[in-house]
Amino acid sequence: MPDSDSDDAGAREVVVPLRLYKVVTVFSTMFAVAFVVGGFIVLDTATQRASLSISDADVPLAILGVAMIAAGAMVYAFATRFRAEGMGKPKDGSDEPSNNG
Amino acid sequence: MSLERKDEYDHGEWMREKELTPVEQTFLMTLIWMDKRFRIVDYLEILETLYYRVNLQMPKSHTEQYNLDNKFWYWYPLYALGSFSTIAYVVAALSGALLGFYYAPATTGDPSSAYNQLAFIMTDLNFGFMLRSIHRWAAQVMVAAVFLHMLRVYFTGAYKEPRELNWIIGIILISLTMVFGYTGYLLPWDQLAFWAGQIGVEMSLSIPLAGEWVAQLVFGGFSLGQATLQRMYILHVFLLPFVVTAVIGVHIAIVWIQGIAEPH
Repeated sequence: MPDSDSDDAGAREVVVPLRLYKVVTVFSTMFAVAFVVGGFIVLDTATQRASLSISDADVPLAILGVAMIAAGAMVYAFATRFRAEGMGKPKDGSDEPSNNG
Repeated sequence: MSLERKDEYDHGEWMREKELTPVEQTFLMTLIWMDKRFRIVDYLEILETLYYRVNLQMPKSHTEQYNLDNKFWYWYPLYALGSFSTIAYVVAALSGALLGFYYAPATTGDPSSAYNQLAFIMTDLNFGFMLRSIHRWAAQVMVAAVFLHMLRVYFTGAYKEPRELNWIIGIILISLTMVFGYTGYLLPWDQLAFWAGQIGVEMSLSIPLAGEWVAQLVFGGFSLGQATLQRMYILHVFLLPFVVTAVIGVHIAIVWIQGIAEPH
């Protein structure tokens, strides 16, 4: 992968132009917030604010709620791989070694 | 609209020369599609420009002082949590001021006058349900946002020199926020409030040496009653608003003077 600064395994980074980075951070945050808040609303609806017993709860709707919360978290986490130019983990980009000299 | 020249790039061209996984490709295409229709980034860039125009503070932050172009950290979403807490506080203050016209901190009667007024607000008062819900949600959001704000400050090292004082003030503020929440929690004077108050009294009494004195001072006695509710009310609507507003003012003023700490 020529475009990714693969320092450690599993930590993929994609460098994008600054304007695109702004798009990613703004819209992915909005999606994440909407999914998480919406997921909790759906979960509340399915369980009538956690007041129903398990047999009375709407299980598919509850699963949908949990899935939406997870999806929101995933969108947020996925967006963190995109970085603007000049951005990076400070200890990697810095001139100073990170081993106390 | 920002001070710097915009990046000159073509979405399609850039995407082609980049090696992206299908998921990343779809993700970026979706967000670009949204960006072309809802120009939110443009409006936020206006705010960013405004920030630079207004914030001619001393000392400048590192990137501003050396006029570096890596100011992307303004776009980190978690850097908005402090503002978010402040907005929640203002919303809670406004809605609380309106609720004050209808609430009465009295335990007389069964159910108590306080609870009756609450029921009146929730069922009979026009927009009362909405008003109390806004107040409650603003309080919940503020507590959550303040806590996350503290985590952000801690994990980005923003508390370090020369901002130690503001970190201490922040700890005072998060404590006062929780006192604010607790006193407000007792005001409905229903079962939930009453037994939360009982826990509070017993926690106070568990303090060595000063316990009985603290219980008397904060709860007006060792068992809950009119004195307790009245003290919670005065703390919630008179003492804390002045103190917390003043401390928030100092907290934000120091941020203004020192500049926002950049991640390092």
